[in-house]
Amino acid sequence: MPIRIVTTHLEFEGQVYEQRVVLEGDEPAVWDADAKLGVVGQPVPRVDGRERVTGGAQFTYDVALPGMLIAVGLRSPHPHARVASVNAARAEVAPGVRAVYTRFNTEGLINPNGERPIFAEEVVYQGQEVAVVLAETRQQAIDALRLIAVEYEPLPFVVDPEAALAVEAPHVQTTRENNSIGEDWPKIYERGDVEKGFAEADVIAETRFTTEAALHNSMETHGGVASWDGHTLTLWSSTQNIYGARQQVAAALGLHQNQVHVIKRYLGGGFGSKFDAHNSGLLAAWAAYHLGRPVKYMLSREEENLAAGNRPPSVQTYRIGAKRDGALTAIELRAVGNVGAFGGWFSPVSLPAKEMYLCPNVRATDAPARTNLGTQGSFRAPGVVEGIAGLEVALDNLARELALDPLELRRKNYAPSYQIIEKPYAVKTLREAYDRGAERIGWATRDAEERRYPRGRDSSLRRGVGMASQFWGGDGGPPAQAIAKLLPDGSAVIVTGTQDLGTGTRTVLAQIAAEELGLPLAAVRVELGETEFGVFSPPSGGSMTLASVGPAVRMAAAGARREAMEIVSHLAEAPIDALDVRDGVILNRETGKEMGSLGSFLGQLEGHEVTARGMRGPNAEEVIVRTFGTQFAEVEVDIATGQVRVLRVVAAHDCGRIVNPLTFSSQMEGGIIQGIGMALFEQRIVDERLGVSVNPNFGDYKVPTIRDVPEIEIITVGQPNPFANTLGALGAGEPPIIPTPGAIANAFAHAVGRAPHGLPLTPDRVLALLAE
Amino acid sequence: MRAFDHSAVQSADEAVAALRGQDEASLIAGGADLLSLMKADVVAPAHIIDLKPARDLRGVSVAADGAVRLGALTTLAEIERDEALAERLPILRAAVRDAATPQLRNMATLGGNLMQRNRCWYLRGPYACWQKGGDRCFAREGQNKYHAIFYDGSCVAVHPSDLAPALLALDARVEVVGPAGPRALAIDELLQTPTAERRREATLAADEVIVAVTVPAQPANAHGVYLKLMERQAWAYALVSAAAQLALTEDGRVEQARVVLGGVASAPRRLPAVEALLVGQAVTPELATRAAEVAITGATPLAHNGYKVQMARELTRRAILQVAGAQRDG
Repeated sequence: MPIRIVTTHLEFEGQVYEQRVVLEGDEPAVWDADAKLGVVGQPVPRVDGRERVTGGAQFTYDVALPGMLIAVGLRSPHPHARVASVNAARAEVAPGVRAVYTRFNTEGLINPNGERPIFAEEVVYQGQEVAVVLAETRQQAIDALRLIAVEYEPLPFVVDPEAALAVEAPHVQTTRENNSIGEDWPKIYERGDVEKGFAEADVIAETRFTTEAALHNSMETHGGVASWDGHTLTLWSSTQNIYGARQQVAAALGLHQNQVHVIKRYLGGGFGSKFDAHNSGLLAAWAAYHLGRPVKYMLSREEENLAAGNRPPSVQTYRIGAKRDGALTAIELRAVGNVGAFGGWFSPVSLPAKEMYLCPNVRATDAPARTNLGTQGSFRAPGVVEGIAGLEVALDNLARELALDPLELRRKNYAPSYQIIEKPYAVKTLREAYDRGAERIGWATRDAEERRYPRGRDSSLRRGVGMASQFWGGDGGPPAQAIAKLLPDGSAVIVTGTQDLGTGTRTVLAQIAAEELGLPLAAVRVELGETEFGVFSPPSGGSMTLASVGPAVRMAAAGARREAMEIVSHLAEAPIDALDVRDGVILNRETGKEMGSLGSFLGQLEGHEVTARGMRGPNAEEVIVRTFGTQFAEVEVDIATGQVRVLRVVAAHDCGRIVNPLTFSSQMEGGIIQGIGMALFEQRIVDERLGVSVNPNFGDYKVPTIRDVPEIEIITVGQPNPFANTLGALGAGEPPIIPTPGAIANAFAHAVGRAPHGLPLTPDRVLALLAE
Repeated sequence: MRAFDHSAVQSADEAVAALRGQDEASLIAGGADLLSLMKADVVAPAHIIDLKPARDLRGVSVAADGAVRLGALTTLAEIERDEALAERLPILRAAVRDAATPQLRNMATLGGNLMQRNRCWYLRGPYACWQKGGDRCFAREGQNKYHAIFYDGSCVAVHPSDLAPALLALDARVEVVGPAGPRALAIDELLQTPTAERRREATLAADEVIVAVTVPAQPANAHGVYLKLMERQAWAYALVSAAAQLALTEDGRVEQARVVLGGVASAPRRLPAVEALLVGQAVTPELATRAAEVAITGATPLAHNGYKVQMARELTRRAILQVAGAQRDG
């Protein structure tokens, strides 16, 4: 089949990338709203649910190989220091120890992106690698760690982002001229004339809003298990990006990519933090290659929380101007970010200010600073969660000053089209989400006395209802490939190289294939998570997996079905147009008569497997495809103790076609719960005098418990989106977390009559705010 | 965690014998705290002496006069589930119900709960803090939102136990055996502000073993509550807790009072001035408010824990009012 090379645009985690991709063939027609589908759209339980709940599912953490060495890391306790010497002599001869790696014996060992040595002379954050011990047992490795003597020469450090940007600030890295992340930063976006906009405003609301570093806290930490057999390096990697990991390991070890096999059967969470092989996986590969022994290096929780990424803290300062009727005239935002020691980009905190509401005059500055803290990593809608929280709180502040209903203010400033470049939205159903969500939460009665004061005004309990909204991409894009095979018995194998982050990818891809192939779901098996036997799939993130890989699977399945029906047509001596296949049975379209199972035909052939390839087609260039949604939260605040509880969340989202309502609602609930953590509890706490985090653990860094989970009601808005892809489906991974913290912050403000200055709403902050 | 020897004992006396002359030994019961300290390398006992086989240290018994005896190895879950105990001393069930998690309550024992180390992140982290023999308290000038608002020593950590404030409010005594035989001490004798010579909260000697906690019979007109404020709805130490046990006459006057705050000092903080204010008075909202002001008198919050003053005030007020309310309702 002839190929073609096209240039297409892909939006990933808020950034737009232009990329050239190979395409072949034609995708099947879009499943539009009228498509009659039998498997897609059904609330099918996960096809791998049994493995997951019985412990049969093998996560990277579970991999144990004969002769496997265990690696344990020694990390810098200092935020900034020169590693003058590392004396590992005693550790090297300790029982069970097979190697100790430091900067003095790992020449050429660079990090996965090829930017810098893993073991550096100058460590620039608490938790940076200084040495790794490889031993027969974990206990032996831990014992040996204590025998390593490191001589540190402490250097000046800075952890506050605003301080870091000052001219006289200590340099995060001694060799750099300043603490900016690059010459083109800070980035300033402008449209219209902001000064003119403020001059036209009747009211200007100013808001300063802060968010803290949130840690991904995937249940499975970063790491890998590597094995080298002299020909092939196999890496079981806890990654969202097996092909990226393959490329990185091959480059690091000087191997051909065909000598590196990356496996990720099940992933214990990633949330955006695992887009590469990680230093730990690369170290495992390096050690296995050099020692000839399998090596396992999985981070401890503390290592994970110090050195495996975070949602960077932000300080957002808004000025929003509006006419008396609420029409926005100007938005100005300066967002300072704390991207840590090696931050090389800044998640787009300013994006909501540019896009969410109709406003002709906008100036938005993203000013990230490097500091001597752990480097940021993308985290479930990076930047946009923080940016929406700040913007929506600022908008509620404006609504208070204008004495307007917050929802009315948003309706008044509804953005009908994309404002950053002039393009229409493919579909925007946010008004419907407003309507339906508002009705479900009871927006109209939110000021009712009995609702705001559930136990009367003498009680210290106050309740409030607030809202915030989201937009996100999530329409996916090329490149993504899939192969569909029909085996002689009429069962199917779908081969991809994608990753199931735990979201149900295996299940939804099986549904798509079963639908297209006319097979029962049980007759379809989906392969993923292996580079050697798979075909290329992009990293799983950006709410793109379903929308990128799903259409490739569908196209492959369509091709396989076409060939299979040709075969049946020949064998049955019936015109192909007269044949159909449903639930694995060949039917005569006109008579409806069953002609036998698909397998009964394919099995007549000598050793033939039907094989077809599918590729995700290009994205629509003329429109902007978005998910939209809004969330309402009802909270209860005890103003005497500062305790905040979320009572209810109503989430109304348009993610196009819902392929599986169960996995969809899991995504919604998970995102909302994670958002509650950010709103109420989660915070990396840094001792600024020492330059260290004091709570890199599950005890003091508090994620939500099941008792913190409120009633969650999910409303699906909208229809299959014909511009998104041939499924009409958009990703649902990131949308639910985006509005959650902002909605809670606004509900809190409604409850207590005062806007918070930031998140999380821990009792200390709440009581301080109320005492102002 | 470092390597260690492990041995088991069948009784408290055997434990005392096993501890004798051992500098680097540690008793283990549920291990809920000890294991995490060992994993963090805060402590590294060379010998672990397992007390769990000592079956006669388990269980709850009620004497004819109403006094209650809780074996040192009784788990928090057992305390939580014991209906007779909950009937007699509801304050104890309230104290354990929100402690840790169900899994931890199944492991954690009463004795271990009293002996646990504090949760200061500098103690638990790689810092040579004063309790670990260093020369300074990192929390005093550092991150201290969970720390003390009443302190007079060299350490500003708070005692994390939920049971200890409740037991102090019940005037409980801790039965201990050591080389010199048995002795009993009050909760506020067991848990005290650390000193230069004893850089931990528990005053027990290294070769002493808790056998049981006894709670004297409470007056028939006594009622108690335990209130706890947390940063989330489960699995969190008290930011501030309050335990109040009041005996009230039929006309609502306070006959006896024991009021204790947790989460505010290095040991549960009994409030004698509050108790003195209450005794002889009828509980009214005004009285509770005055008592609450007395409760926080002298508090000197650190940079990040000023909120605890408000919490302590409010919990004291609520605890007093709730006890009085319980008496009225009961």
